[in-house]
Amino acid sequence: MNARFLALEVRRAVRNARYLLFTIVMPSVMFLLFVNLYGAKDQVFPNGLPVTTSLMINMAVFGLMSAPLAAGARIAVERSTGWQRQLRLTPLSSSGYVLTKGALGMVLALPGILLVLVLGAVVEDVRMSALQWVEVAGGLWLATLPFVLIGIVIGLLATADGMQAITGVLSMAFGLLGGIWIPAEVAPGWLAAVMHVMPTYWVKLVGQAPLVGGADLGTAVLVLGGWVLALGFVAAKRFQTDAARA
Amino acid sequence: MALSGLHKAYGDVHAVDGVDLVIAPGEVVALLGPNGAGKSTTVDVLLGLTAPDRGEASVFGLTPREAVVSGTVGAMLQNGSLLDDATVAEAVGLVAALHRAPLPVAEALARADVADLANRRCTKLSGGQKQRVRFALALVCDPDLLVLDEPTVAMDVETRRQFWRGMREYTDSGRTVLFATHYLEEAQEFADRVVLMRSGRVVADGSVAEVRATVSGRTLRAVVPGAPVADLEALPGVRAVEVRGDGVELACADSDAALRALLARWPAAHDVEITAVGLEDAFLALTAPEEAR
Repeated sequence: MNARFLALEVRRAVRNARYLLFTIVMPSVMFLLFVNLYGAKDQVFPNGLPVTTSLMINMAVFGLMSAPLAAGARIAVERSTGWQRQLRLTPLSSSGYVLTKGALGMVLALPGILLVLVLGAVVEDVRMSALQWVEVAGGLWLATLPFVLIGIVIGLLATADGMQAITGVLSMAFGLLGGIWIPAEVAPGWLAAVMHVMPTYWVKLVGQAPLVGGADLGTAVLVLGGWVLALGFVAAKRFQTDAARA
Repeated sequence: MALSGLHKAYGDVHAVDGVDLVIAPGEVVALLGPNGAGKSTTVDVLLGLTAPDRGEASVFGLTPREAVVSGTVGAMLQNGSLLDDATVAEAVGLVAALHRAPLPVAEALARADVADLANRRCTKLSGGQKQRVRFALALVCDPDLLVLDEPTVAMDVETRRQFWRGMREYTDSGRTVLFATHYLEEAQEFADRVVLMRSGRVVADGSVAEVRATVSGRTLRAVVPGAPVADLEALPGVRAVEVRGDGVELACADSDAALRALLARWPAAHDVEITAVGLEDAFLALTAPEEAR
């Protein structure tokens, strides 16, 4: 991996107004909006989590999901415009390219998470210990990895035209089916079953774990790990065929 | 660099069908041919962007990929795009950073004559400017072999001239250039050697003069008042006749014999002019599809 390459990639992404809007501003705006719409600031969910804290974590999950999806999907654009061919004429290896894109997804996910949390602490009076803040932020950030891989897989498989629609549908689906917009507890049985396979559901659980007793972190690691392995496999396979064509 | 027995098929289409080609260091070689002749595929193999089905490619004794990694090969791709949301300096700087022993970015920009565009976004460039930036991208690894696929497409006449001027500076330092083009004048003016391709094969290879000579014959033009076409056609060494008013144009297999006979028969003939077949005629003759010849 090449630090300068990563730095330029970050700079390009930050320049992109869409990235800023959808991945950093949107989740924060939604968070503030929801808290005030619910008007139930002082209520506490059955799992012991205050409504505001719960919404904060949900919107952080929403934010961390969008940036890596968008970043990975841009691989599709670079494939179609021929910039990837240009990079093939440098010592940069194919795996170096994908690793950098992965790192980029991780880096870009961070500001969205942090802004929501900062707003939670400063504007909405969410209170927890310093350790818990670090655990929530760190846990959420680490749990971003499946989404980074999903983005990369989309980027490697989709066309530049198709990728917009695909990322849009996917982030909707992950949000809805992962219990970000409606809690899994109120969903009918079959839907709840689907939700328990979604990475979003478990990422949310990772985010809540430092605050709720008895969270099933083991299963979370298992499911998220499964997503990572499966997606990593698809990406590697796809990559080999790409390299063979090259 | 050497290509031997190169084959590459896409489905049923044999893009490259047995190409052997050796280029010595310091040569400037033009790869000519109509669309679909296999020029781009040949270039892709040479750069390690495409693996051949059969045959081998080597560049300075290395595999194409090794040569690219070592930075001895720089290339300007036909549809190589630029980073839309980066500036020219950033894009060139990135490629420089990925290479092991690059030129200073400013120097690459200056050599490609785009120093004034350094801070311009890549989206805000004209077609010709983009080509020059691509040239900077190709130069920045300080290559010994430069491969250019249709480098002057989208350039106007003046930019094209400037581009080749920059290129001459580069080759004057003894470096090797292979460029694919379908501008014959470029090949004629700039290349030491011309390689003509058709249907995935090399059909002619040599200096411009040699390639021209493979299509034998010359053209004899003269003003010959009142000469009947049939008589002109009967002259020794003449293959075909065209008459425009008093002017005649004789395609000759043996122009010396034709000229002697012509002057003996019509002493009034004047404004005689004999020209060798141009590269363009050779190109057309050699690259015409088999059935049309």
